[in-house]
Amino acid sequence: MTLTAGLGFKLEHLDAVLAARNPGLWFEVHSENYMMDGGPRLAALEAVRREHPVSLHGVGLSLASVTPPDPDHVARLARLAERIEPCAVSDHLAWTRSGGVEHGDFLPFPRSRSALACVVDNIQRVQDVLRRPLLVENPSTYIDLPGHAFDEATFLAEMVQRSGCELLLDVNNAFVSAHNLGGDAQAYLDALPAAAIREIHLAGHSPDPDGATGLLIDTHDAPIVDAVWQLYARLIDRIGARPTLIERDDHIPPFEQLMVERNRAAALLAYDSARAELVDA
Amino acid sequence: MLSLVAFQRDFAAALRAATVAEPAALTIHRNTGARAAIDALAANYPVVLALFGEEPFAACAQAYLQVSPPCEPRLSHVGAGFAMFLRSYPPVQDILWIADVAALERLWLESLFSADAAILDGAALLQQGVNDETRLVLHPATRFAPFASPAVSIWHAHASEDPNALEMIEWRPETALVTRPGQAVEIDAVGPGGLAFLKAVAAGQPLVGAGAAAFDADPEVDLQTLFARLMESGAFTPTLSDRSPS
Repeated sequence: MTLTAGLGFKLEHLDAVLAARNPGLWFEVHSENYMMDGGPRLAALEAVRREHPVSLHGVGLSLASVTPPDPDHVARLARLAERIEPCAVSDHLAWTRSGGVEHGDFLPFPRSRSALACVVDNIQRVQDVLRRPLLVENPSTYIDLPGHAFDEATFLAEMVQRSGCELLLDVNNAFVSAHNLGGDAQAYLDALPAAAIREIHLAGHSPDPDGATGLLIDTHDAPIVDAVWQLYARLIDRIGARPTLIERDDHIPPFEQLMVERNRAAALLAYDSARAELVDA
Repeated sequence: MLSLVAFQRDFAAALRAATVAEPAALTIHRNTGARAAIDALAANYPVVLALFGEEPFAACAQAYLQVSPPCEPRLSHVGAGFAMFLRSYPPVQDILWIADVAALERLWLESLFSADAAILDGAALLQQGVNDETRLVLHPATRFAPFASPAVSIWHAHASEDPNALEMIEWRPETALVTRPGQAVEIDAVGPGGLAFLKAVAAGQPLVGAGAAAFDADPEVDLQTLFARLMESGAFTPTLSDRSPS
């Protein structure tokens, strides 16, 4: 079955998730929330997996750290992947850890040549254990650091080519970064290598509570804005249909309400697939 | 250009110490990380949160995370040392039992995430016959700990709907027994005999030795009732040798 649009799985939605029969529906979880030996939470995920494809989206590999990913953490991820047989395994282009401390957010870094080498090495270490390509997500950015040797799209393309990883393209992150740094989200999306993009994320954002900064924060606590839907429609038109996830991690509405956003993405994907068939015919 | 090592070291240092003129991005990253850690601590210690109230809990969480920042990406591991921290947290010096409740909540989480295993059926064990060498094995999700306070009763009072539940608690030491007989974790209190029995089992002593230890600790103990209760709670798992073929 071809994956269309999916949702982040929330335990409180378990019954509705198990009952859902929408064609192409799939679910994604944060890998770290299921790295345990057993018990009801893991059993719930296994029940979801019996009904739907599941992808594992991590927050803990810290791929842009100067130190390699924690081997124990990678081993736990591999065990979970063995258990769940996910349709994708992903993490972020960011560092989240240094000096033995978890910083709890995706931190930026100068996209230097040495950073590229470091990220590529870290990705390969994970892929060697998982024995599959990792999907790496573009970040939300709040600051224009000095010391970049590459623009972000070029860095991502180089990273893909050198490591063999693939891309998880978060359209909201592209929108938030372009807003915060004064860039052009459309041009950024157009510059990314289409073949490498294997999954898309759509999410909501919020303005910085300190209104004076004018920054947008990638909060995943609100519906997707129209501008992001527009970027998404144009992206799909360029690269073709891709499994697309509606991400929501805070102020979580009822399952049916999330399915409305999910179905909007599914409709766009179905439209594009129908068009592609006509073109190919 | 700064090397990546120096950049990450300096950025992490800047995250630790806020300054007036810092870039907005730094504040956003610091706040996001702090919020995530406090939310995780609150999720892992719901009864301690209820006992404190939201604002005092947030202040306590901040003080704790300052000395013990998260060191592992799994949110369920945030606060592994919270109970010990509370023992020396000045605002709770007169209510140190709150540290016991935190320790109990930690055991609850550990039990929730432990490995799955079969539950030992006590009746089947007795039917099969017990000898001097018969040993019980704790289920992977079983935890027990003695507390100087009635931590188990306090925990249950918070889970109960009865507004008077807290006032009805008898003030005495309690030993918590945490088990996972089905899909949910259960918390029960056992007496000194129960504690001695569980300690003996955990130390690998045979069943008869565990019974004797329980009797030594509490001559009033009703071993049959204690055994039945422990079996019912799902505290044990079959050993390889007495697991029935299926």
